[in-house]
Amino acid sequence: MASPGEKDADHCAIGFLTTIDLPGGGHVGGLLVTNRFGRPLEFQCTTPVKPDKTQQILFGATLRPYVLGEVIGKTLLDKATVKPDVVLTDDDAVLDVRDHAKAPTGRVLNDGDGPARVGRQTVRVHAAHAGDEASIASRTRSVPESADMLEPFERVREALRETVEAGARR
Amino acid sequence: MAGPGRRPGDASETERNVPRPATHPGADAARLARMSEPAIPAPETRSVRLAPRFGVTPLPLTPSVGQHASGFNASLTRPPACEAVSLPLPMCEVAAKLRPDRLKVMCVKLTFPAGFEFIPPREKAAKPPRPSAVLPDETAAIEAAEGAILDEVEVRPKRTRLKPPPGTLSLQDRLFYVLQPPLEDWLAGQELVMPFEPFPYQYEGIAWLFSRDAALLADEMGLGKTMQTITGMRLLLRSGQARRVLLICPKPLIPNWQREFALWAPELPVTTIEGPTEKRKLLWDMPGVGIYLVNYEAATRDLDRGESGEEPTARGPQGPAFDLLVLDEAQRIKNRDSRTARVARDIDCGRAWALTGTPIENRPDELVSLFEFLQVVPPRAAPDLAQLRSLSEANILRRTKDLVMTDMPPRIDQDELLELTPGQQAAYHHAEKEGVVQLNEMGDTATVQHVFELVLRLKQISNYDPATGTSCKVDRLCADMEEIAASGGKAILFSQWTKTIDWIDTRVREAVPQSNPLIYHGGVPTKQREPILQRFKEDPRANLLLMSYGTGAVGLNLQFAGYVYLYDRWWNPAVEDQAINRAHRIGQKSQVLVKKFICRDTVEERIDRVLAEKRALFQSILGDAEQDAAALSMNAQEIFGLFDMKAPAKTGGTREIGPKAA
Repeated sequence: MASPGEKDADHCAIGFLTTIDLPGGGHVGGLLVTNRFGRPLEFQCTTPVKPDKTQQILFGATLRPYVLGEVIGKTLLDKATVKPDVVLTDDDAVLDVRDHAKAPTGRVLNDGDGPARVGRQTVRVHAAHAGDEASIASRTRSVPESADMLEPFERVREALRETVEAGARR
Repeated sequence: MAGPGRRPGDASETERNVPRPATHPGADAARLARMSEPAIPAPETRSVRLAPRFGVTPLPLTPSVGQHASGFNASLTRPPACEAVSLPLPMCEVAAKLRPDRLKVMCVKLTFPAGFEFIPPREKAAKPPRPSAVLPDETAAIEAAEGAILDEVEVRPKRTRLKPPPGTLSLQDRLFYVLQPPLEDWLAGQELVMPFEPFPYQYEGIAWLFSRDAALLADEMGLGKTMQTITGMRLLLRSGQARRVLLICPKPLIPNWQREFALWAPELPVTTIEGPTEKRKLLWDMPGVGIYLVNYEAATRDLDRGESGEEPTARGPQGPAFDLLVLDEAQRIKNRDSRTARVARDIDCGRAWALTGTPIENRPDELVSLFEFLQVVPPRAAPDLAQLRSLSEANILRRTKDLVMTDMPPRIDQDELLELTPGQQAAYHHAEKEGVVQLNEMGDTATVQHVFELVLRLKQISNYDPATGTSCKVDRLCADMEEIAASGGKAILFSQWTKTIDWIDTRVREAVPQSNPLIYHGGVPTKQREPILQRFKEDPRANLLLMSYGTGAVGLNLQFAGYVYLYDRWWNPAVEDQAINRAHRIGQKSQVLVKKFICRDTVEERIDRVLAEKRALFQSILGDAEQDAAALSMNAQEIFGLFDMKAPAKTGGTREIGPKAA
């Protein structure tokens, strides 16, 4: 019996998870799930998340990974109807979502120095989940080599900006 | 425990204060000796070697320890006395409870339509042919040029992002467009394989069409409206935005669309609605997904709801019959009161696109009819010119070759002013004199139709004199064709009359038989037309194609022809441009020489002046030139003016109709 990654090789769903910082403080996160060609299957975004002073003091340097990874990332992944086979992010802080995600998670790199290759880029995985390298490589075999894996994050950010602006207009 | 630099009696504070249990003196010495053995050799031997080098003082490791009866040592053996005392602890209160709450977050979700799963096209061993009729050697040149474009793309990739249509307020609708991948990624080498790399302006056109519910694509002829439309349809179907698409085009262009669909979107199921009524009904009722291709006449017959608005044949059981309706050569509905225009407006559709290179042929009203079809103006609307300009900016995408195809070979226009042959001259002057006299005699009863008849008669004589069988035009044509045939070039010729075309064919066959002229006009059965075009394209000995404006001016790809002859002039410059652009279009690698035959001192010269003025007016609506409220059509005044006459006023007041002295 084929593993889940092998079974769905041709129908790989990739989750692109990223956040934007809001001008007044706080963050909004978005998850775009696409097929292996980058065509969108599902998108969801969060309402603005703004830590209060107590949280800033108590979490200290761990606040950003906590908010982006555990609060925003985990929530988006939990509520996704189309569950991604692989989760990719372009933010180190978001990579901490791996502790709360079922799917292998990777940080897409610009410079191509990562251990696993997806499309035109390479990815780095969470230090505590070294096995994700092989999982990501296996599950994204059907992604074209020419695919730009950083481009979907631009879409997510633009959609988040649209959403924030729409909220501000109300 | 001695180390370098340590002296006797230098025992640490700890060593000095910590009491040792009473033991045998020899035992201490032995223990210390054992501890020092593994690390340090015997002091006697080391001192000999190390003393001069490090200044080490020998230290005896067996110090003498004596016991003295002080009473202190005995106290050390006693257990300490412990006593529990109860003391009151000071109580403090928690100033604040600082437990970080988990941040609350809510999500907004948007799911995308599943889209239409296509049957992938079969793999082809060889590269498919060009989208247009191009000779093999030209193909190589074009592919090289495309390769250069691809190289450039590789170095500096351009991304065409889909944008929400203007006025889209719903966040969900806006995000749908924002989240689509760049067009280049969608089309090039990923989901939708393109046989050839589109030009950047074509990417923009595709993106524009895709995001529009109402669109009038008015690119100049030859810029690839067909390909952009097909790709736009392809994206709509693939993204689940459309399932049933109806494309209405002129009958002669059906094979052209079929060919282009096979090239640009081989996976799309295309059904051509044709044949007898029963067969067409069967095809209309066929459920499923895909493109329905039909000509204007059949569509008008089958989809007419009638004045009473009864159910047409093609209406589905629920919802709109078609998600997208496309009108090719949409100037066919320029008359908003025509049955064709009414039927097109009445077809249920989610989106409406109109394709035409000439959205205005004569009057701004024609544009209004198109806007009414697109439902961007209410029924029977009468926008003024300023409103029309605003509507045009919002709903029309028009690019010209000058703007986007800067590397395209030039088009060279030459007005060939010819002198009538003596036979033609005699016939012409006789006919003109007789005609004007008749019009004078008719007085106020003379109508535009009467003048038209005279104009047509004079134009025919300018083409050739039936009595003497002479023609200055055909003489010039034959002279040119000898040279063109000798160089292996190809020419297309347009005339208004099929009879003239047949006559030219006879004369050219006699005078320049090596040019092997071919005829393509309305008198040629439809089934024979494609083979004629195929032969003209492939047979190097076929150098001349004689066409009528009505049949050959639209939709054909003849970019392998380097010469275009306008044997006589059409009333409308837009139709002439359509004809010329059969040759001057994408894929043309050499310059196109356009020769317009105009007989000197004839009605043709006067018509040419009017056409030039109409061209300027055409620009005034779609371009930036100053607009004029004057009607763009050739009005009665202008037609009478061809003979220096004034149109009779409705009140019958005008009388001056005699020709002026030259």
